[in-house]
Amino acid sequence: MKLTLHTAPEVPLEAEVIGPTSLNGLTEAEVSALTVHHGNRKEALGEFFTVTGKMNGRLELEGDLSFVKLLGKGMSGGQMIIDGNVSGHLGVGMSGGRIVVNGNAQDWVGEDMKGGSIIIKGNAGHMVGCVVRGAEVGMQGGEIIVHGNCKNEAGGGLRRGLIAIGGNSGDFTGLNMLAGSIFVLGEMGIRTGAGMKRGSIVSMKPAQMLPTFSYSCTYQPIFLRFYLNYLRELGLVIDDAWLTGSYQRWCGDSIELNKGEILLYHS
Amino acid sequence: MDKNTATEKNTTIIKNATCTFCGCVCDDMELTVDLDEKCIIKSKNACVLGKAWFSEHSVDESRPVALIDGKEASLEDAIEEAAQILVNARFPIIYGLSDTTSEAQRQAVAMADYLSANIDSTSSVCHGPTGMGLQGVGEPTTTLGEVKNRADMVVYWGCNPTDCHPRLSTHFTVMPKGMYIPNGRKDRTVINVDIRSTSTTNIADLFVQLKPGSDYELLSALRSISRGRRLNPSIEEQTGVPMATIEDVAHRLMSCNYGILFFGMGLTMTRGRHYNTGALHLLAADLNEHTHFVVKPARGHGNVTGADTVMSWQTGYPFGVNFNRGYPRHEPGEFTTTDILVRGEADAACIIASDPIANFARPAIEHLKKIPVISFDPKPTPTSQIARVALTTACYGINVPGTVYRMDDIPIPLRPAFESPFPSDLDILKPLTERIRELKAH
Repeated sequence: MKLTLHTAPEVPLEAEVIGPTSLNGLTEAEVSALTVHHGNRKEALGEFFTVTGKMNGRLELEGDLSFVKLLGKGMSGGQMIIDGNVSGHLGVGMSGGRIVVNGNAQDWVGEDMKGGSIIIKGNAGHMVGCVVRGAEVGMQGGEIIVHGNCKNEAGGGLRRGLIAIGGNSGDFTGLNMLAGSIFVLGEMGIRTGAGMKRGSIVSMKPAQMLPTFSYSCTYQPIFLRFYLNYLRELGLVIDDAWLTGSYQRWCGDSIELNKGEILLYHS
Repeated sequence: MDKNTATEKNTTIIKNATCTFCGCVCDDMELTVDLDEKCIIKSKNACVLGKAWFSEHSVDESRPVALIDGKEASLEDAIEEAAQILVNARFPIIYGLSDTTSEAQRQAVAMADYLSANIDSTSSVCHGPTGMGLQGVGEPTTTLGEVKNRADMVVYWGCNPTDCHPRLSTHFTVMPKGMYIPNGRKDRTVINVDIRSTSTTNIADLFVQLKPGSDYELLSALRSISRGRRLNPSIEEQTGVPMATIEDVAHRLMSCNYGILFFGMGLTMTRGRHYNTGALHLLAADLNEHTHFVVKPARGHGNVTGADTVMSWQTGYPFGVNFNRGYPRHEPGEFTTTDILVRGEADAACIIASDPIANFARPAIEHLKKIPVISFDPKPTPTSQIARVALTTACYGINVPGTVYRMDDIPIPLRPAFESPFPSDLDILKPLTERIRELKAH
């Protein structure tokens, strides 16, 4: 099935009904009649999108969706391919399936995610795979791959799963992280791993460490090769030197459990 | 209200009046009011800021009560026009609220609810990160009265109360004698942490100068010491503060009897924002393992604390609240006004007692100029000048009675000095909300 944006929303459009799971088994007419929230008004999905084709587990979206929020909310399977930029809260609470965005995404990609994968070919905003405000446990499984850059607080409160950023990340990467893995192939902002309890943050560039982190050793972690080869398969550019190189290992955050690690490529 | 009629001029003295300039909300003002000229000619007990506040708020009766598209209009027509704009909008925003009474704030929340609108206060560009920080980690709180009577350690972090809240130190926190502080200033230690020396440094026993943007690191270091954890020596280079000073500060904080951390926008509006304030709250929580420690933000506007308080008990959230779906949702960054405007999402704005055109980022101002704006303000402002509907209101505290919240969340009643010919914010918001209800019902 394909949804093509024919009328750009004037104010934010909250369209959590758009997702391969929620549209499964519906006809074109039924999909067009679904309710979306255009600001404070309820309107039919067909007012904004042209619906074509039959739902067979693969949903394509086309157009500038930079005012369209909550796409793929709670999806548990299938594929959603988006050609264009999207607004915030992409794949909120998803537990399975795959979202590919051939464009940029705004804040809160994969918020409260439990499984499945999200691939952003462009850049992402703040709070990639981050914990909902006020909660302690964030992303609990799945993968988020951002080919470009992301902003602050990527992987905040991460409990399980993989977040990989092909470019740079902002401040507080892996903030209050409980477990899981974060890869940043470019540079990280400041205060990486602040408040982290466990988990691994890996970067290929030097980074400033908080005073509550301590240097442990420089070594060649074998497990990284598996991760990096996997990321290469997903399309991220992996330098051969990273596969066999040495990494500085920093432990922290000592204010918390001090069982987290930050691995920085050394040589 | 305690009024004593003086003899020569037609004056009145208002005792125990309340100053609504800053978050101290001092309620011991003695105002001499010239009733003929409708102005305050003397404000005893007021600080330099309070004196200016009282003396500058005379009433210009020649101003129209309302302007629609720059043309003079009746209040009824203006309310009708404002109601039509807001009801026809898909993403109306209500913003401001920090310089009005809590009664008006409550009415504004009701209006936002009926409109399914977005409502936000100036907290989102001020101490909003404070609310976010304490949501995450909790708030060891207090009142200024408790500080006055008990605090033997006062820390001013990233704030300059000597210039911005002149009576905070002299009336509440540093100078006064208290129940357990019999010798006043002599019994207290004052530490000032800032990136540069300010007027507050002059009243401090210890000044800690840190590199700009290294507050979180220094707070982490102090937390680390208070928890007995190992500290990376790079802290000296990162913060510019010698290890001996950090250890000295930590020791002083841990060994006092009752400590208070005041902080300002040096923490909330610098890199790290809500994590800076969260770290400060966590430092206080950690210090409670050693002694008693509390935290208070040094809030700016007279009733900005009220805006947070009213919105919290009305909606559950302190600022950045969205009613688009019929129920309140809170998401700083998504439903905070500057972000909404920068992304070009709002299609109408109701600005109450605030001047975003003079303060917001350029892209936000550009969008605000494109959409219909309704402004409430006692004075002409850059915002009222671009407003489709500009309403002239009476000034809270000077002309309008009601309630405001002090920076320590204590509600204080207002004792107005003289009457204004203009309506209060509440006087307009009530019929406006009623008209919105009627229009929405059809």
